[in-house]
Amino acid sequence: MTVFKAFLKVLNKSKAPIIMYTVFLIIFAGFNIETSDNPTQFTAEKPSIYIVSRENPKGINRNLIDYMKRNCKFVDLEGKNLEDAIFYRDVSYIIFIPEDFGKELLNHKMPKITVKSTKDYNASLSELILNRYLETAYAYSKVATTEEELVEYMNDTLNKKSEVEILSNLDTSHLNKATFYYNFLNYALLAGFIYVICLILSSFNEEKIKRRTIVSSMNYKKFNQKLLLSNGLFALVLWLFYILLSMIIVGRVMFTTHGLFYILNTAIFSCCVLSIAFLLANVIKNKNTVNGIVNVIALGCSFLCGAFVPMEMLPKSVLLIAHILPSYWYIKTNELLKTTERFNIDSIMPIIINMGVVILFTIGFVIMTNIITKRNQKIN
Amino acid sequence: MFKHNFNYTLKTLFRDKTLIFWTFAFPLILGTFFHMAFSNIEKSEQLDTINIAVVKNEKYNNSILLKQTIAVLSNKKNEEHLFNTKYVTEKQARKLLKDDKIAGYLIPGETPKVVVMTNGINQTIIKQVVEEIIIKEETIKKVTEAKIGKYLTEQTQEDLGNLSPWYATIYQNILKEWGDEFKIQDISDDHLSYTMIEFYTLIAMTCLYGGILGMVALNRNLANMSNKGKRVAVSPCSKLKLILSSTLAAYITQMIGLILLFLYTIFILKVDYGDNLSYIIFLTLAGCLAGLSLGLAIATIFKTSENTKTGIVISVTMLGCFLSGMMGITMKYIVDKNIPLINRLNPAAMITDGFYSLYYYNTLDRFTSNLISLFIFSGIMLTISIISLRRQSYDSI
Repeated sequence: MTVFKAFLKVLNKSKAPIIMYTVFLIIFAGFNIETSDNPTQFTAEKPSIYIVSRENPKGINRNLIDYMKRNCKFVDLEGKNLEDAIFYRDVSYIIFIPEDFGKELLNHKMPKITVKSTKDYNASLSELILNRYLETAYAYSKVATTEEELVEYMNDTLNKKSEVEILSNLDTSHLNKATFYYNFLNYALLAGFIYVICLILSSFNEEKIKRRTIVSSMNYKKFNQKLLLSNGLFALVLWLFYILLSMIIVGRVMFTTHGLFYILNTAIFSCCVLSIAFLLANVIKNKNTVNGIVNVIALGCSFLCGAFVPMEMLPKSVLLIAHILPSYWYIKTNELLKTTERFNIDSIMPIIINMGVVILFTIGFVIMTNIITKRNQKIN
Repeated sequence: MFKHNFNYTLKTLFRDKTLIFWTFAFPLILGTFFHMAFSNIEKSEQLDTINIAVVKNEKYNNSILLKQTIAVLSNKKNEEHLFNTKYVTEKQARKLLKDDKIAGYLIPGETPKVVVMTNGINQTIIKQVVEEIIIKEETIKKVTEAKIGKYLTEQTQEDLGNLSPWYATIYQNILKEWGDEFKIQDISDDHLSYTMIEFYTLIAMTCLYGGILGMVALNRNLANMSNKGKRVAVSPCSKLKLILSSTLAAYITQMIGLILLFLYTIFILKVDYGDNLSYIIFLTLAGCLAGLSLGLAIATIFKTSENTKTGIVISVTMLGCFLSGMMGITMKYIVDKNIPLINRLNPAAMITDGFYSLYYYNTLDRFTSNLISLFIFSGIMLTISIISLRRQSYDSI
């Protein structure tokens, strides 16, 4: 109990970073991804746009604005800085409709439309929609004599839609959210475990405290056992907490087979992180360096393996380097789970291989820790 | 005395390994991570060619427009090359889709049908293109009818489709003219790389972390911080000289760290800071001053241990960087858009925004206002430090 009490005392001192990592996790995973409630129905992506036009647009001008608003997400930027909105991707497309849009069109002239765009796929999509409208309007302008007639033609034609069928019955949006959460958890786990365990072990390993422990009546094996147990308990509690949190944030996906695999994957990875933490705690001698090492390792593994930026957006060379880190295999499993439709031998095999690699890493770290402690003992 | 204290402060600062790690090495490491993680984002957000399949059925063979449009969009030499198209049977298409070889496939028909696996941007684009074809077909039909209708009586309009030769010519003409005559003009700036903000916040972080250097340097002279401080306090030298030389040493150390970071980000990570070097130097000097004065103010206001003071500087810096977009670029925009006052008071945002305006804006108004804000911030911080430092004396300690 004495050991456990001391453990809790040190733990209490280092609660601030744990809270910070958890808050990050909630902020980024909780608010980042919108989920749709009807995953089996096709929902078209809607690029964000803003339209600058004259006040109180009428006729075909109004019709264009309404059409764009129906097919895109209109963000009201009235009075805001448009340049900033484009740069920070608040909107991907800003359309400037000239004053005499309707007049020009009825005179069979193509009005000059200028735009500002982010030049990414959202901008391309907006352009596709705008272009279609303009082409159609221009074609009808040759036969329509009045603006009303033109609007009528447009309305008749533009409501034609294609039919879209979705084959997969995966709850993609919730699975995306789960993968995002568990990928980000990579950072929280690494930073949290390593920070706390290194700090606690280095507190116990401080020279004077260590000497006192050695001369105390407690058997050193018992002491070590209790310390190990306390650390394991801490890891278990934190892991359980994060799983519970995921059930709140991610929701129903966690109660399916997918959810079970996410949890299992995280459990295996947590053991691996624990072994890394023990290894580092044995290597680090100075308390002041703990913070630096934790940051470099946790941030490094997270950036390189796709915890923050999705794997498919990382350069191939970076992913190649990432193979030597356990986080890569952990995150790869999360990504695989996102697209796994049915669980059978074929689809589970790659997941099991990834988990196996993480377990091998864990064994490797444990062996390394043993070698180092043995060498340290000899030196002492 | 000035020179002596200056030299020794420099030496002390450079020998503090933890300090040098956080102010020199950590920004470099973080910059490398940013570069590795973000270098591909913008490229992957551009529209790539999409793999699709088209089911070759009777309707497909009959629809000239559909055939033509898909062919144009699948032509690799065409500027508008959008699709890599395979022409297959429905069964093959389904298999291709299940194997993730294509994003979706099209079954031509009365209402063409698009089959996809999931929601997504590529899937939406396929849908939009197909809709475009439907609308185009409908439009051309209607325009042709209207053109013919102008010359015909109402009775014959009913079987317009059978007026084949005439109809076909007009139809073909409209199709040929389609969309030829205009182009949407894109007037946006070329400097649209938003990941640059990450590197600008990194510079801001380094500038503000420099405050720790100023704090440590100043602490050496404070009687309540260490025995060394007590000895310095009772020594018969000008306190002004001591403090000035200490802070100058900290400022120079900070600048060396930033020069390293700039060299590394410009030449190795290829970060774009805009073209005007002198403005960049100005902004950096001002940013460092803001960091330094923040560190000094924290060192003098709070009467606690050096560790706690360091903690305060780091927390303030991280909060500032968070609000200026380090942990998510849009954060800065959200704050700027909704509560602009916060970033008007946040030195990290002033530095980030200064670099951003040099990179993105052609005018200097925004840059100047950021620069002035930084000087005002530094002025206020320095005044606070001077007020709490002057005439400091202890009866006992």
